[in-house]
Amino acid sequence: MLSLSLIAGEKHLNKRLPEIAMNRPGLALTGFFQYFANQRLQIFGLAEFTYLKSLANKEKFRRLEGLFEQQIPGIVVTRNRKVPPEILDLAERFKVPVIRTPMVTMNFMNECTALLEKLTAPRERIQGTTMEIMGIGVLLRGDPGIGKSETALSLIERGYSLVSDDVTEIRRTSRGRIVCWANEVTRYHMEIRGLGIIHVPSLFGVSSIRRQTELDVVIDLKKPSGNEDRTGIFPEHVAFMGIEIPCITLPVRSGRDMANIVEVAALNQKLKELGHDAAKELDDKVIERLTKGRVRHG
Amino acid sequence: MAEVEIVKKFKVLNQYGIHARPAALLVKAAGKFECDIFIEKDGNKVSCKSIMGLMTIEGFPGSTMQVTTSGADAEEAMAEIGELFANKFYED
Repeated sequence: MLSLSLIAGEKHLNKRLPEIAMNRPGLALTGFFQYFANQRLQIFGLAEFTYLKSLANKEKFRRLEGLFEQQIPGIVVTRNRKVPPEILDLAERFKVPVIRTPMVTMNFMNECTALLEKLTAPRERIQGTTMEIMGIGVLLRGDPGIGKSETALSLIERGYSLVSDDVTEIRRTSRGRIVCWANEVTRYHMEIRGLGIIHVPSLFGVSSIRRQTELDVVIDLKKPSGNEDRTGIFPEHVAFMGIEIPCITLPVRSGRDMANIVEVAALNQKLKELGHDAAKELDDKVIERLTKGRVRHG
Repeated sequence: MAEVEIVKKFKVLNQYGIHARPAALLVKAAGKFECDIFIEKDGNKVSCKSIMGLMTIEGFPGSTMQVTTSGADAEEAMAEIGELFANKFYED
């Protein structure tokens, strides 16, 4: 995507990037180091090169040397510019990798920021099946054998999309959302008791799968305990990597159409996000009537 | 009822590692027990009752897996899981 090619310093590619960000070293090249983000990837674009060109050879080398002495982690040259021999020599001496891209500086920095964030985001692997239901990311959890995969299968038959079965990879985005996707090896496969392993897009078509989804609601399938929330007024939450996600516990009984209930739960969650909380609105209405002390008839 | 938790490490000894067949054997064995059974490798932890989980854990031949059983029948479960590892999942 970034069309990177390595120009120098292959042995030093394992260098750590202490700060997950980029910096344009124009100001540092003028000799101003009081505030230099030396721990970031240094991007040489048109501005840097034009400035370097304006310098006499000896001075150019001195300025670049000053930059390398700050222990920069790496250099990216944009617009496929030819890398000056001074940079190559210094990169060798200071053990700094130099990378080149044909992209325009601004486009490169945008793409690279997004990629760096994705690659360095905190991630975890959790137990659960993830579906996308009308744009709502739903994580189904529950003890083995409770019917997560079977519920997911019914949802797929209703036209919704599978993201991952039983094992879900998650990462936290900088916007404070949790993104779910599947392990690459088992992606788009499901295990259904009695059938074994199936490949979902082969059976249901490509619209039955989705590469990733943002998580909106967690649904825990449980054996009936008798103390489930009957009103929906007291929403529970569960935290993933510090992000609170609404969590609904659904009791599973034989003959209960779980897919239908999960579908409604997802829709209800969407409604809540739009600002309509049916349970709370009804309760408010009841309380208002009660405090008025009389019930109008008809 | 005392809550027992047992942690043991096993080496994957069969030729192809934990692919579908060994995973199915592990799931079948684990499913007989009430207790929680988890398998862990390189910081990735999955339920031993999940085929999909076991197939994502990358149980390469020769790698070491940490098994945790917790619950009333943890000891029996660990013995049965250990037997599968020791017998190379009855492969080779």
